[in-house]
Amino acid sequence: MNVQSADFPAVLKQLSERDLRKLENRIARKYSGKLPWIAVFWAFGNLAAWLSLWPLVLLGLLPLWAAFPIACVNMALVYLPTHEAQHDIIARPGTRLRWLNELVGHATSWMMVYPFEVLRVTHMDHHRNTNDPERDVDISSMAPGPWSAIWATIRNRQPNAKRNSDYASSLVRAGRLDLIVLSVAYKVAFIGILGALAWNGYALEALLLWWLPYQIAITYILFFLSWAPHHPGTHRLRYTNTRSWKSAVGNIGSMGMQFHIVHHLHPYIPLHLTPAAYREMRPIFEARGCRLGDN
Amino acid sequence: MEKAVKLVAGILPLIFAFAFLVPVIDQSMQAFELGAPFGLSTLGFALLVGGSWGLVAQVGGRWI
Repeated sequence: MNVQSADFPAVLKQLSERDLRKLENRIARKYSGKLPWIAVFWAFGNLAAWLSLWPLVLLGLLPLWAAFPIACVNMALVYLPTHEAQHDIIARPGTRLRWLNELVGHATSWMMVYPFEVLRVTHMDHHRNTNDPERDVDISSMAPGPWSAIWATIRNRQPNAKRNSDYASSLVRAGRLDLIVLSVAYKVAFIGILGALAWNGYALEALLLWWLPYQIAITYILFFLSWAPHHPGTHRLRYTNTRSWKSAVGNIGSMGMQFHIVHHLHPYIPLHLTPAAYREMRPIFEARGCRLGDN
Repeated sequence: MEKAVKLVAGILPLIFAFAFLVPVIDQSMQAFELGAPFGLSTLGFALLVGGSWGLVAQVGGRWI
């Protein structure tokens, strides 16, 4: 069947669930299986750019006020390559370039003070239990509107936040108590590095190159990756738990999350190909009653 | 091991306050040439504010 036909949603509605699934999977296969080099260059380019800020600032070659916004961008960009690695999109287990997948994951996630395996285990739990109030590790991002969503991201970073216990519960369910220990070790190391810099006279550098960019980036990332695509966070079914929407800041500004529905249905499709996959799958999504925006 | 992890995780706000927040307040005041009140040094003031804030976060479970 040609998926570009006119009146597609009407025709598709008459198809069986099995045929719809076949059609959808055929499109998904078209966009998967290729190594997304863009994610690899993104990961290491971003890492190198952020690391280079430190000597540039400490040697007085770049003013701190100029480095701060760059560090914010670096921090905001760090999550998506590791997200590709969490889903084994760069290379699946047992393949020749598997090491590259793991390297991308480990080399980037530490900037966000999370062990890669913690992100992977908890994120898989999010996919299995999207919008489940008991088991979705990201459920605490849910909020009635954008401003309350931003506030929720800040609340979620407080010591007594529900998100902390949701992540710990997810790791316990996975039988990975070792990762809880590792998470604490990462946090202690983070504070240790910040403290060592700060007590040696570089408190403002540590604040404006890492701590504050990290806080700003986490707010941005949780807003677009966690809140916006799942809003209002009450739909539990496979085809409705994630939506598409048209973002006021565009597809790049929202980090490609306008098409997050494709990712939840076919998590092996690389991020940069989800817009094209979405456009091709949209008639199927319409036939399935998905929550779709004007894109 | 589990006990040690729980202990450290349980006092992270205090560790953060004294390891990072205090020197940030101190050096920010110096950078903006702000004097500390009550005849305190900027570091003394930072210890007072940062330490108190850390204690509040430690006991109350939230920074803000």
